[in-house]
Amino acid sequence: MEKSDNISSMNAVVPFKFYTSSLLVEITGRRASDLPAFLAILREVDVSSVFYHVHHTFREYSFAPGQYSNDFARWVSEELEEIGLGEKLSSVNIKEVTDLETLRQTLIRIIEKHLAEHPDSRKALPGREFYFLRNTGIVIPTKYESRTIEEFAADLKLVGMRSIYYHFFDARLRLGHKTNDFSNWIRSNFNDEALAGKIEALDPYFMTLDQMRDKIISLCLPKRKTDNSFWKHFEKVLKIK
Amino acid sequence: MKININDYAQVTRRQNLDELLLLADRLQGKTVKMVNSTSVGGGVAEMLHRTVPLYNQLGLKVKWDVIKGGGDFFNITKAFHNALHGTKVEITKEMFEDFQETNAQNAKELIFDEDIIVIHDPQPLPLIARKKEGNAKWVWRCHIDTANPDVMLWEYLKQFIVQYDASIYSSPSFAKELPIAQYLIYPAIDPFADKNRNLSQSEIDAVLRKYEIPTDKPIITQVSRFDYLKDPIGVYEAYKLVKQYADCRFVYAGGTASDDPESNKVLAELQERVGHDPNFHILLLPPFADLEVNALQRASTIVLQKSLREGFGLTVTEALWKKKPVVATAVGGIPLQVIHNLTGLLAHSVEGVAYQIRYLLNNPAAAERMGQYGHEHVREKFLITRKIRNYLLMFIALQHQGESIISL
Repeated sequence: MEKSDNISSMNAVVPFKFYTSSLLVEITGRRASDLPAFLAILREVDVSSVFYHVHHTFREYSFAPGQYSNDFARWVSEELEEIGLGEKLSSVNIKEVTDLETLRQTLIRIIEKHLAEHPDSRKALPGREFYFLRNTGIVIPTKYESRTIEEFAADLKLVGMRSIYYHFFDARLRLGHKTNDFSNWIRSNFNDEALAGKIEALDPYFMTLDQMRDKIISLCLPKRKTDNSFWKHFEKVLKIK
Repeated sequence: MKININDYAQVTRRQNLDELLLLADRLQGKTVKMVNSTSVGGGVAEMLHRTVPLYNQLGLKVKWDVIKGGGDFFNITKAFHNALHGTKVEITKEMFEDFQETNAQNAKELIFDEDIIVIHDPQPLPLIARKKEGNAKWVWRCHIDTANPDVMLWEYLKQFIVQYDASIYSSPSFAKELPIAQYLIYPAIDPFADKNRNLSQSEIDAVLRKYEIPTDKPIITQVSRFDYLKDPIGVYEAYKLVKQYADCRFVYAGGTASDDPESNKVLAELQERVGHDPNFHILLLPPFADLEVNALQRASTIVLQKSLREGFGLTVTEALWKKKPVVATAVGGIPLQVIHNLTGLLAHSVEGVAYQIRYLLNNPAAAERMGQYGHEHVREKFLITRKIRNYLLMFIALQHQGESIISL
């Protein structure tokens, strides 16, 4: 029997409290129509603008993973037709990034290198410029609080995707190291390194938040996925909530 | 039909509605006044009629006041409206004086004792003069495309705008660099409005019978005003290209507007160009034809939006919500809605439009998938509940100005 099976009904020392985060989007008024102008603004724009443009795509596509992982990649690919650069920007591994200034510098280096190799940059058509946005984040606790892994799995099913996002992606920047709130909680309350590690290893690039939610639930409840009696119990937990 | 906020659980995720209630909990009893210049007609009034009762159900106390003005005042504000859209209009010193005078009169009559005041569009903009009397937060909601405004007029209006605590725009391109916060709130549709609610087959059939549109062939529809910027001639050119390969019907349905003398000219030009082609239907819809538009969109195999310029393109939102595969030009707010090959197909020319229509006619499975994804995309991003959510967030943010992360 795997460890995760044993822990499913153990009580946590500290319950997992689910929060939800919402973004209020602000227009900076700054826009770029070509790559040098884009780079100049990227160097000095508020770091919350970098956060917004790199992360919001992950929050928004619940029905299918998007073609580009961030707004910068989409714009250079579609409006400047710099497909290669778009691919590079799309591949920046946000799981490796624990602070936004490092993320900004990584993006700047990719663009600088591209500009050095391809100095003749195209201009976006009027109306298709890149508009820099930034956001205010509003974080609110939800009513969901889990004491066991089973409850945690049930709560995951019930919370909104903004909660999944907050605890999985946002946590990296908040905690300042390469993990997420779920793994952190499992590690410190149940000492289950295997499960914590499996959740950390999930690849967010090709999953919607719904898919990620289901994946985490199935990781928390291994071997029980196809067990009807368990699902009956799980439904009961969901109803009580 | 009286709509309750909980009814939206039928059309949006329950979790999204729960989060909306969570935000509203933090704003219980907050008083808000909305002010605009008309209670009937136009998109702003239509949206306020639908949203104000919902805010109140959520526990806020939201009032809606309308400013009064004579014919002269509205002629002036109509001229402002056109000039903000970039049309060359002569604006005189007297017009500015009348504009301020009417607002001063309204400012005397209105009571501003709420926590938050939201002023819609430029007509009541100078009411900001009352701000100094209290502690309310004042927000200006701009519903107009101000991407290329008349510079002199913009500078004049700016003296009022900068006194507000915040402003709201429908597109990033409409904002300028201003010393106040400029929030982005996309327009939205109400799934329970007549333009979008589910229709029975008999309701749809009745509209098709009324406009004499047989259902023997695939129907491709564009719903737009008769306006050069909606490119009706381009729609007809695309029809001719598609027709070389596929038997189908095209419908161009729109109304004429009394304040737009050009629309009759555009309609006449299209009619002359099309002649008596039995497969290209030009429909002149009466005002308030929401149900007809709904039925036409639902009866269509493909919905087209071949605009040359577009603000946001709510007709695209409506079509996506109805699970229709959409072919549209990549202008204005359309690419936010139509993600190429995922929620629809984008094109950049008459030829491109025709090609993408042929693709969809020949690939019904792909068309169905895009329709489904389009519906989901609108569900998450462009429904009235999302818009209310954005307003609630803004109301919270106004109490925490200067904070980039607000932990409640």
